[in-house]
Amino acid sequence: MRVCMPTTLSDACSMLADAGTAGRVMAGGTDLLVDWPQRAHEHDDTIWIDLSRVTPLRRITCADHVLRLGALTTYWDVVQSEQAAEAFPLLKQAARVVGSLQIQTRGTWAGNIMNGSPAADGVLALMAYDTTIELRSTAGVRRVSLDTFYTGYRSTVARADEILESIVLRRHRYRIQYFEKIGTRQAQAITKVGLALTQDSADHSWRVVMNSMAPTVTRCPALEGVLSAQQPMAGPDAWLPIIDADVSPIDDLRSTSRYRRVVAARLLHSALADRCDWIGQ
Amino acid sequence: MAQCLYTFNVNGHSQTVAADPLESLADVLRDRLHLTGTKKGCGAGDCGACTVLIDGSPVNTCLTPIGTVNGREITTIEGLAVNGELTPLQKAFVHEGGIQCGFCTPGMVISATHLLNDNPSPTTDEIKEALTGNLCRCTGYGGILRAVQRCDNYRGDGTCAKKAEPPADKSRKYDNVNISIPRVDAADKVTGRAVYTADVTLPNMAYGKLLGSPVAHGIIKKIDISKADALPGVLTILTGADVTDTLHGVSPARYDEEILAKTKVRHIGEPIAAVAAIDEATCKKALSLIDVEIEPLTPVLDPMQAVADGAPIVHERYKGNINTHVEQEFGDLEKGFADSYHVREEEFIGNHIQQAPMEPHASVATWDHDGTLVLYSSTQVPHYVQYMMAHVLHIPLGKIRVIRPAVGGGFGGKAATSPIDICSALLSKATGRPIKMVYTREETFTYGRGRHKQYMKFKLGVDKEGRIKAFKSEIYLDGGAYSSFGVATAYYAGSMIPTLYHLPAYRYDGYRIMTNKPACGAMRGHGVPQPRFAFECLLNMVADDIGMDPVEIRLRNAMDANTMTVNDLDIGSCEYKATLEQVREKSDWNNKYGKLPAGKGIGIGCGGFVSGAGYCIYRGQVQLSHEKPREHFQKKSIFPHANAIAKVSEDGMAVVLMIGAADIGQGSDTVLVQMCAESLGIPASRIRMRSEDSDISPIDLGAYSSRITLMGGHAVSRAGTAVVEKMKPYAAKLLGCDPSEVEARHATMFPRGNESHTVLWEEVARQYFNDKGPLVGTGCYKPPDGLGGDYKGATVGTSPAYSFGSAVCEVNVDLETGKVKVEKFTDYHDCGTPINPQSVHGQVEGAIVMSTGETIMEDIQFDEKGNILNPNLHGYLLMTIKDAPEIFSGLVDSYESRGPFGAKEIGEGSTLPVLGAVAHAIANATGVWIKDLPITPEKILNALRKKQESAEAPSLAATR
Repeated sequence: MRVCMPTTLSDACSMLADAGTAGRVMAGGTDLLVDWPQRAHEHDDTIWIDLSRVTPLRRITCADHVLRLGALTTYWDVVQSEQAAEAFPLLKQAARVVGSLQIQTRGTWAGNIMNGSPAADGVLALMAYDTTIELRSTAGVRRVSLDTFYTGYRSTVARADEILESIVLRRHRYRIQYFEKIGTRQAQAITKVGLALTQDSADHSWRVVMNSMAPTVTRCPALEGVLSAQQPMAGPDAWLPIIDADVSPIDDLRSTSRYRRVVAARLLHSALADRCDWIGQ
Repeated sequence: MAQCLYTFNVNGHSQTVAADPLESLADVLRDRLHLTGTKKGCGAGDCGACTVLIDGSPVNTCLTPIGTVNGREITTIEGLAVNGELTPLQKAFVHEGGIQCGFCTPGMVISATHLLNDNPSPTTDEIKEALTGNLCRCTGYGGILRAVQRCDNYRGDGTCAKKAEPPADKSRKYDNVNISIPRVDAADKVTGRAVYTADVTLPNMAYGKLLGSPVAHGIIKKIDISKADALPGVLTILTGADVTDTLHGVSPARYDEEILAKTKVRHIGEPIAAVAAIDEATCKKALSLIDVEIEPLTPVLDPMQAVADGAPIVHERYKGNINTHVEQEFGDLEKGFADSYHVREEEFIGNHIQQAPMEPHASVATWDHDGTLVLYSSTQVPHYVQYMMAHVLHIPLGKIRVIRPAVGGGFGGKAATSPIDICSALLSKATGRPIKMVYTREETFTYGRGRHKQYMKFKLGVDKEGRIKAFKSEIYLDGGAYSSFGVATAYYAGSMIPTLYHLPAYRYDGYRIMTNKPACGAMRGHGVPQPRFAFECLLNMVADDIGMDPVEIRLRNAMDANTMTVNDLDIGSCEYKATLEQVREKSDWNNKYGKLPAGKGIGIGCGGFVSGAGYCIYRGQVQLSHEKPREHFQKKSIFPHANAIAKVSEDGMAVVLMIGAADIGQGSDTVLVQMCAESLGIPASRIRMRSEDSDISPIDLGAYSSRITLMGGHAVSRAGTAVVEKMKPYAAKLLGCDPSEVEARHATMFPRGNESHTVLWEEVARQYFNDKGPLVGTGCYKPPDGLGGDYKGATVGTSPAYSFGSAVCEVNVDLETGKVKVEKFTDYHDCGTPINPQSVHGQVEGAIVMSTGETIMEDIQFDEKGNILNPNLHGYLLMTIKDAPEIFSGLVDSYESRGPFGAKEIGEGSTLPVLGAVAHAIANATGVWIKDLPITPEKILNALRKKQESAEAPSLAATR
């Protein structure tokens, strides 16, 4: 195992390129050091590129309707950024329910994206907005919509030589912004059912995002279609077939497929019945 | 990996260390800078015990690579108190009951310090939000919340008054007991000074790790250690072939555990090899290089399948996988049910839960040159560890010195001698070096010893007035792979039911079943919480059936003082009815029960427990434990269960109190000091407790069966009295009275009735020393002879005294998601006369939160191969501060004549009312009873759906 501690992004890219398939990038380290050092020997062949000294990556900038989060931006940085919280309120809501404050001060949005957990709460909020990520390598920058970033369980379109440099959120005006996370306890819970919703007030387009309901955090095109069509819904159960078209929740140690579907339907119905008069009761 | 130099600022001083860049800050602080106030409770960022401030922000140091903190400013718990002066917040933790085991305390104080730095007057919700990342298993968060809320009271001069001795109140009967003084170890715990086993570092120390079986059931074919042995840094490796055949365990009749598995493995994680190396990472690497070949056998994981014909057999000696069968019948059961007006039969299932104290088990072993083993162990039963080490090592008890440093909670999980106690000693012997072994959080789960999952079939008959006529209980306990405490558990599950209500007829059949899972053991309330939960639920169902209020049906059946129960348990003091009446009034029960809107519910549960077990775990006398017991069991204790020495310093200004009682966070050191002070007639502040070292402190059987207050209390107060008796002739001479007239109080001695004519206590002590040398008093306690009936298992459940309690729970259930918020608890207990009321309330609050978690969220889950799916604190959920309900804890007037100063237990009995109360409140809120624990949102929604479907079914049929 080797750890490289570059101080510039271009060095980091070169180091990652040199490392080949052994290279892994780390930011806050909150996922990496779980059960350390007992698990250290599993990483004997890994070359870690630690970004912590590439200080410009910590920056949050907000200009021209664009919020840019550097790769080292933590959840807590966003909670404390008035601009970010005002422009994208779901980010702050999500940040406060990721683990605990101790995790929020270390964990990064970029790490949450790159780690690829289907339960990622940060990704749930980001995907409810018009979010693009910038992947940097020695070959240059590539921009990918977060919507199309995940290809399957913990797999993404990012190449082994790419570093997530920044997360770019384009600000729209929203008629509806909603975020809800259901876990078993009141805090420090891993999400069993997560739902985020936005509706653009200009073109009335919808973003419906779920986590812990599929192999990846995912947008829900069938639900978005139903909402765009303003299809009335008789009650929570009416959402179930549409949910089933979008996601495939499983039974695991935290919950059951049935519970996740039913609760997602109820969350959707109660969130929207209040806000959209065409839904019906 | 190459080490680099890192420079950062710790508590105001620049530090440079050489470390691997991925070494955690927690390890660097603890192992390299010896700042052991930062604790490691989980290694996964779940518990917050390792919290420090980096540049003013709280972080989990276990997840912080040292490479990322170069140039940063770090504040650890050691950096808060300046020149030894506690911060106002630290003082508040000390005085408001914010500390029990103390393992979460440094992290908790750091997080709260961060909050108060930003926000000096936070709201309750803001405090809870700031502390969600810090788990506490002892306090129920009540004392912690109060400490942060009341921090202002400890600023400036106000603090001095708080720190001073309480002024002597001459009207009080007692000066040192029945009064809340801060814990004697609080200041050490709030500053990070308290030393826990994992904090112990000895010169030339090396580390040890165990290799656990990868399969749940199998035959060991080959263990090849050659690759691991060749790894640089490895010192020695032991396998089953290197250790004796001596079996160990808890119940002498059922020693069935090997030190390291020799031929067969019976659960995943069962130790099969032990490695010693220069550091933990090398140990772990070596374990991965050990080549193990095991022929897998079909595992049996479900106890109900384990008793079926043809099931795989876990142990040849336990036929049909039945570890023990308890069969007890009292009174005329048939007649009781025949005479009943209403009979109801129900099945309930408990859950398999883990004690999960914040401190994982740890052991450090070293051998003196004279062949004495010195073992530091995070145990709650130092004497039984000493006894079991003598047994497995074949050396006399006297050649074993057990040191119990501060213990970060036990709850029964540290009540058995652990594999790391034994293997650290063996590895130390083999290497000639001190060996430290610390369980990871995962290993605490695979070691097991958690609560048995019980499958309960209950039948209750009552007459028209609701009086119980007969009760029948059939229980299957999932024991896991070894006996451990389980035989006692199976007996306890039956024996404690008749203590709360008058049962004229009772039958109990208990079966403890072996399965291929980690062994279950004794957990807080030992065997009783689940049957108590089931009984209380069934009683509430029966009350509903016959249209009677749940409190009323209890009052009609409630135990009375001075009663011999149907199973021959001798109840002395009993204020159970008073606890019922008090919770009814305080909770406004009559205006709430049956009158709340859907989704809101109120429920009641009750319970009670032993104040110490009537008999020792092993029989006969203190002996070389590999000898056979020499004396036949005769319904009396051969040796005293608690023993104390009070030694007065030569100047008379201090008393050293020695007793091997284990303070595991419950506060036993403090109440023992209080009771000894009372009998000595001096303030508690003059007493120093020495309970941690078996070379210094005489035997006390330890922290189990809620025994220390009563048994240890008698021993220390008798030791104090013995000192005063020796002083009396000297005082009499100075006072010019008869020795029989001398009394000691307020650090003076005086003739009875003439408190103005005094001589200083220390002056008398000096006179004694000048004349006779060391002033020492001893005291001991044996339970009364003849406890218990004459049937098999009659000793289990015997005790000098019994506690009682009632709790009312109020919940809010979200009927859309099934989420339960336990809003409020009202609890009254009869614990006799409390020695330290603040400690009593701390036990009650902790028990309510722990047992609420047991009822609604805690559950160890296995896959089909026998792997634990959630051996960590993000999968296995403990209540956070946001989950904890508001709690009112009250005490009823009570005096137990068999207890010291009228006291009884509180530690375990306080758990027992909780499960039933929560379950009842949820049933009351939702209209559905969930009879298998934990009561999760998933089960609630399923039950609501089934209820709705069955309600709709008839109407569907009608339309067809």
